[in-house]
Amino acid sequence: MELQLEKIEKSYKDKKVLKGISVTMGTGVYGLLGPNGAGKTTMIRIMADVLRPDKGQILYNGSDIRDVGDEYRAKIGYLPQNVGFYRDFTGRDYLEYSAALKGMEKAYAKKRIEELAYSVGLQDDLKRRCCTYSGGMQRRLGIAQALLDNPEILILDEPTSGLDPFERIKFRNIISAYSKDRLVLLSTHIVSDVEQIAAQIMMMEYGVIHHMHSSREYVKMMAGKVWLVEMPAEELVEYQKQAVISNVAAKGELMEVRVIAESKPTANALQTMPSLEDAYLYSFNFLSESKEAE
Amino acid sequence: MSLYRFELRKLLCNKKTISLLAGLFVLYSLIGFVTSMFLIGSRESYRFYEELAADYEGSFDAGKAAWAKKEYEEISARYGTDSRMIARSIKDQPETMLALKYNEFVGRVDEYWNGTPPESAEEPYGIALLESILSELEMQGRQNTFAYTKFSGSLKVLTALGEPEFANILLWENLFVNWGEHLMQFLLFIPLAFIIAPVFAVERETGMDHLILSSRSGRRKIVTAKLLSILTTSAVVVVLYVTATFIFGFLPHASLHGWDAAIQSIPTYAHSMFGFRVWQLAVIAAAWLIFTGAVYSVIVGFVSSRMKSQRSSAGVSLAILFINVGLAAMGDGVTQRIQPLIDFGLANVTLIKEVFGSFKVFDVFGISISYPVMAILILGVTAVLIIFGIYHGQKNFDVG
Repeated sequence: MELQLEKIEKSYKDKKVLKGISVTMGTGVYGLLGPNGAGKTTMIRIMADVLRPDKGQILYNGSDIRDVGDEYRAKIGYLPQNVGFYRDFTGRDYLEYSAALKGMEKAYAKKRIEELAYSVGLQDDLKRRCCTYSGGMQRRLGIAQALLDNPEILILDEPTSGLDPFERIKFRNIISAYSKDRLVLLSTHIVSDVEQIAAQIMMMEYGVIHHMHSSREYVKMMAGKVWLVEMPAEELVEYQKQAVISNVAAKGELMEVRVIAESKPTANALQTMPSLEDAYLYSFNFLSESKEAE
Repeated sequence: MSLYRFELRKLLCNKKTISLLAGLFVLYSLIGFVTSMFLIGSRESYRFYEELAADYEGSFDAGKAAWAKKEYEEISARYGTDSRMIARSIKDQPETMLALKYNEFVGRVDEYWNGTPPESAEEPYGIALLESILSELEMQGRQNTFAYTKFSGSLKVLTALGEPEFANILLWENLFVNWGEHLMQFLLFIPLAFIIAPVFAVERETGMDHLILSSRSGRRKIVTAKLLSILTTSAVVVVLYVTATFIFGFLPHASLHGWDAAIQSIPTYAHSMFGFRVWQLAVIAAAWLIFTGAVYSVIVGFVSSRMKSQRSSAGVSLAILFINVGLAAMGDGVTQRIQPLIDFGLANVTLIKEVFGSFKVFDVFGISISYPVMAILILGVTAVLIIFGIYHGQKNFDVG
């Protein structure tokens, strides 16, 4: 299975949100990282076929999804950024309605609803009206909806927003277990959501995907670019205006500052092991600026 | 799992709509009851009227006509000539009421033979009038014109129908007022606009459109399900209106008398060229209201499919209704210029008295087509085009 985005462009009025995105995805988990306003949601919506691009096309196994139509949408599970609910619907109604939209057979849908309600921890709440759910519960219900018909392509937009740490871990486990032989695209601005589970991570900003590598490759790319610098707190205020800092920790009288820099930032700086978060900061503070300037 | 079931639940089978329908049922029942009670004060008065009228039913009688005329002159001397004022004043006087009704009947018989006055804006009606129009056309050698075909057809039908007969159709007359006057348009079509307005707009308002558009059935089957739910809902509301006004219109006087009379016995339908009995017209009227209600509901559905909020959807739908009613209420100078818009606009086409109360025919490529058939064709084609527009819109819709 292959999903190919070819030169996708999209503008809202005069603002170009996607600038000719081309990317090919096969099975596995893909992370889409980027700051707010990067164009992630627009790209996700186009992939979910709820938004039409101005230019370019999406090919599913070589065929334009506009031509494949219903059959393409039958392969998709989509969790939008903001999940909507009807006032009168219970959790069960919502999932049954989703099953009807997906054209699922009744007995199978019933079985899947029970399974997924248990997986996302909503088995005791399905009789309650969705609008009485907490934000986290609504999110989990949305995730169950996306997984309902065992989709071949799972598209998740900010799936973990509103989830507590325990729910986040549980969600990651569900996705990991699910991703075999399927394409999962997970859009987020929270690095830890994709660090562990994504085989490939796309870094996106200003409507452009700058990189697509594995987490390990990103970390490797950062070798020699992450430094630990100790300095007094008073100096830090001035220093952070000119440096890219990924973390600050108090260490006795001094502050231990994690700095991302191409070369040794201070005389006492020590190299340290990079992380994906460092790569994320590096990508959006060094590389994208030069691309944006272009 | 049936999408239709869910769509019906969203539109009709939910607490909010059921409460609204319960309220409407009470309102409609009140309309039926109050109009019936205003017609004739009590069940005893009606019984007395029914007994008196039994002697007068049937063909024209000169003696009875003279009595009725004399009574009418006394009534108008006492209450004036405004028919509504008279009706209100004599609702507890069955004998006076009978005289008034018989006097109206005499006028209808006179029109049947001698025709409507020349200055009348109505379609030419009456044996003598039609004969004179036809002989004038013959003198001009215009026997092959549409006008000649139309008027000779009218004359033929009128002759076949025969002279009107007097019948006690008091309660049925009230029913047809409730079903076929402008009050009905507001009582029925305004609630329809409010109930149907969310059908598509709610998806945008709640954000559910993302889920729907990305699903297998979200571009075509959902439209079918929504359209079926629109039609079901509209039929339920119309049936509620028809049933409540029927039951509570007849219940106070516990009589269906006049059900088998010719519709020409009803003053509003005196010029009708349709040979229906009263009960047949009632069935046709109910079906007509269901049909026109469905067409209006489909229009509301289309508006909803183009709107982002339920309020704007209801607002535009009501504006369409009011513009139609407003145009039809314009003076003759305006309405004559836009006659097709008036004839087939919602204001006229939803009123059974307009469609079945006269003999209007249209010349379509030399073929004479009656108003009801033409209305069915035009409303049908309009509905089909609108439905096509909804499907097309949903197929190409995006959330941008």
